[in-house]
Amino acid sequence: MHATKLLSRAYSYIFLVVGLLIFIGPLLWLISTMLKTQAQTYVFPPELLPDPFTLGSFSRLFETMTLMPRWIMNSFIVASINGLGTIISSSLIAFGFARTKSRLRAPLFVIVLATLMIPSQVTLIPMYILFSKIGWYDTWLPLTIPVLLASPYFIFLFRQYFLTLPRELDEATYVDGGNYWTIYSRVVLPLSGPILISGFIFSFVFTWTDYFTPLIFIQSEKLQMMSVGLQLIMGKNAQDLPMMAAGSFLALLPIAIIYFSAQKYFVEGVVMSGIK
Amino acid sequence: MVKKWKEDGAFLLFITPWVIGFLCFFVGPAAASLTYSFADYNAITAPDWIGFDNYTRLWSDEVYLESLRNTLYFVFVGVPITVTFQILLALLLNIELPGIRYFRTLYYLPYLVPPVATVVIWMILFGSGDGVVNTLIQGLGGGRVDWMNSEALIKPVIITIGMWMSGGSVLIFLAGLKGIPSSLYEAARIDGSGKVRTFFAITLPMLTPSILFTVVMQVIYYFQMFTEAMLLSRGGPDYASQTYMMNTYQVAFRDLNFGYAMAQSWVLFLIILVITVVLMKSSNRWVYYEGDEKKGGKP
Repeated sequence: MHATKLLSRAYSYIFLVVGLLIFIGPLLWLISTMLKTQAQTYVFPPELLPDPFTLGSFSRLFETMTLMPRWIMNSFIVASINGLGTIISSSLIAFGFARTKSRLRAPLFVIVLATLMIPSQVTLIPMYILFSKIGWYDTWLPLTIPVLLASPYFIFLFRQYFLTLPRELDEATYVDGGNYWTIYSRVVLPLSGPILISGFIFSFVFTWTDYFTPLIFIQSEKLQMMSVGLQLIMGKNAQDLPMMAAGSFLALLPIAIIYFSAQKYFVEGVVMSGIK
Repeated sequence: MVKKWKEDGAFLLFITPWVIGFLCFFVGPAAASLTYSFADYNAITAPDWIGFDNYTRLWSDEVYLESLRNTLYFVFVGVPITVTFQILLALLLNIELPGIRYFRTLYYLPYLVPPVATVVIWMILFGSGDGVVNTLIQGLGGGRVDWMNSEALIKPVIITIGMWMSGGSVLIFLAGLKGIPSSLYEAARIDGSGKVRTFFAITLPMLTPSILFTVVMQVIYYFQMFTEAMLLSRGGPDYASQTYMMNTYQVAFRDLNFGYAMAQSWVLFLIILVITVVLMKSSNRWVYYEGDEKKGGKP
C-alpha cells in the first residue's frame, strides 16, 4: 500500500515538473536570450546558460530607444492612476449595488453584467472619433477616464465581496444614527482591505499589459506606454533578439515583483470573480 | 413610499460614476456606431448614407471572410483544447503534495506576462531557424519546422499562447475543485467507484459551473484575439492568422473606412451574443448547481 502511494506521488511530481518546464521554461529562455550577444542567439544547439554572458542588450536598448525610461514611467503613472481610481469609484458603485435597498439595483446590475460581456470593439471606433473631436486623442485621458467611470469587472468583483459582509453591521450603524455614507466609509471599506488591494493590483496589471488602448489613442512617442514601446523596438530591431528580450524583461519585471510580493491578493481576486 | 424614493436616491448617488460612464462611453458610442454602420464614413468628410451596403458587402469581402473563418477556428478548436488543458492542470495542481503551492504560484505567472512580451518569447521559441522548439524536435530526430510561415501551423502556434496563459482559469477550476464536498468522494469510495468513474460521476458534474464561466471567458478572449496574431505573424502567412479584430482594426485605422468597420463590429457582437446565449440557455441542461434539485442533472 505504501509503495503504491509513493509511486503515485512520483508520477505526480513528474507531471508537475514537465508542467513547470512548459510554464517557466519560456521565461527562462527570455532571460537567457537577453544575456546573449546577437551572435550567440544563432549558436546551434541554443544554450540555456550563455557563456560568456553579457548585459550588452540593455545598453543597446537604452541607446537606440532613448524614450525607454519615459515609457516605463508613463506606464507606471497611468497604471497607478487606474489602480487607485478603480478602488475609489468601483467601491462606491459596488457599495450601491450591494448594500442599498433600492428597487433599481437588480435591473441595473443586469446591465452592468451585460456590458461585461459585450466586446469593447463595438464602442471603440466611435470612442476614437469622439475623443478626436473633444481633443482627448493623444492624451492619457482615454486610457484612464473610461476605466475610472465604468469598469464592470471591478464593480462585479467588489460587489461579490461586499455581499459576503454581514448585514447586521449595517443595522447596528443605523441604530447608532449612521447613514449609508458612514456604513460605506466606516464599516464596509475597513473590512474590505484584501479585495481593494486585489482590485488595485488587477487594475494596475490590466493597464500595464494593455497594448490595444494606447495603440489606438496615443500617437506621440513621448506619451506612449511601455507595451506599445516594446512593439516599436520590435519594429526597429526585429533581428536583435537579445535587445527585444531585454525590453520584454523590463515590461515583465514590475508585474513579477508585484505578483511575488502580493500573491494571495491575486488568488483572492480571481477566485472571488469566478464563484457565484 | 418616501422611504423607497430615498433608497433609490442613495443608490443612484453611489452609482453616479457608473451612470456617467455607461452613458458617455457605452450607450452614446454604441448608438453612434450603429448609426454610422449604415454610412460611408471616414470621420473627416460628412457621412454618406448607404443603407445596408456595409453589411451586404461583407459577404463578398474575401479578406473579411477569411478573418471570420480564422476566428471561428480559434473559438471552436482553441476553446475546447484550452479548457480541457486547464481542467487537467487544475486536477494536477489539486493533488495535496509537499511543495504543491510553489508549483501553483509558478504555473500562474505566464498569465501576467504582457502580451507583447509573450510574442517576443514565442519568436524566440518558435523561431523558424534554430528556435528552441525546433532544437527539441531535432533532438528527438525530427526535422526543422517553419512555424511562422506555415498556413497550417500558425493558428495552432497562436493557440499555444492562450494555453500558456492558463493561470487565471486554472485558479477558477482549483477553487471549483476545492468546493466539492468530500462527503461525495467518500460515498463514491464506499460504493467502490474507481478513479475514472469518480471523475466522470462527481468531479466533472460538480465542476460544470466553473466550466461554463471559463468557456464564456475563453470564447470572448478568442473572438477578440488581436495582439498575439497582429505582432507574431502580422496576420500571415497569406491571411492564415488574420483575426476578426485585426481585420476590423485595419479597415478602420489603415483604410479609414469607419462605417464599414463599425458594421463589422456589430456583426461580431451579434455572433458573440448568439454563442453566449446558446451557452447560457443550454447550461441548465449540463451545468449542475448545488441545491438546485429541479434543474441539476443527476451526478
